[in-house]
Amino acid sequence: MVKVDDKIEEAIKEIFSGDKPWVTIVWDDPVNLMSYVTYVLMELFGYTREKAHELMMKVHTEGKAVVSTGSREEMEHDVARLHEYGLWATLQRGDQAL
Amino acid sequence: MTDQNSDEQHGFHRHGDNAFVAEFSESEREVLINLVEQIIELLGERTDNHVDDPLAAMVGITTHDSPPEDEVLLRLLPNAYADQVDAAEFRRYTESTLRAKKYAHSMSMRITLKSALDGIIEVDHEGANDWLGAMNDIRLALGVRLKVEQTSHEELELLAPDDPMRGVYAVYSWLGWLQESLIVALMDEAI
Repeated sequence: MVKVDDKIEEAIKEIFSGDKPWVTIVWDDPVNLMSYVTYVLMELFGYTREKAHELMMKVHTEGKAVVSTGSREEMEHDVARLHEYGLWATLQRGDQAL
Repeated sequence: MTDQNSDEQHGFHRHGDNAFVAEFSESEREVLINLVEQIIELLGERTDNHVDDPLAAMVGITTHDSPPEDEVLLRLLPNAYADQVDAAEFRRYTESTLRAKKYAHSMSMRITLKSALDGIIEVDHEGANDWLGAMNDIRLALGVRLKVEQTSHEELELLAPDDPMRGVYAVYSWLGWLQESLIVALMDEAI
């Protein structure tokens, strides 16, 4: 009989979730200017003005938005760059409830 | 987030392809130098919970993994994970780099200000990004002290004239406006 604990279940989940299981989230805060958040997303991720604006509006209205998806290492890199410019960002597994 | 109406008449303007220019009065220049120097000082070595390890320092690993105790510093160097163990691990390997990058933005802003004896500032795209990052750090720091998280703009507008926070709020608002003018100038080229 095979026993599957939480850790194994998690590992299996990751295998089936593809190669991009981590996400970078930007959270709303009252200091950062709306235009600044848009500009930083364009500069750091090369997003078009429309896409950056759309993400910024999502952060503004819903309190948070996933701004990039990738490996854990890639997301750590993205979070570090967002912190450099003062955005409030965290990373987590993509399958974790937002 | 907050929306800021930028006055087209002042602040930063685009000059040609890669120059952004602003003119400051002597008192404005002094205020900006003073603020940026305080951020530079704040970003200097942490004294709380710090044990020196020269070898670790050489490869950019800090020996502290706890979040800063100071509220302002915590906003400038935030946790990357909700999970405290992951956050501590990430901080151990990245905090000194983040600190150095923020320090570099502020130093770049300080150097431009210090050398602009006539009050005229000219930066290229990269310099503008340094200014944006540094101005944003100053606003984040002032925002923590003004408690903008818990306080509405209307309440802040109504602070008593003798309340020192009223002056701080005026500087905070002015910086937001200045930052906005630079973003507008930069976005012009992005169209």
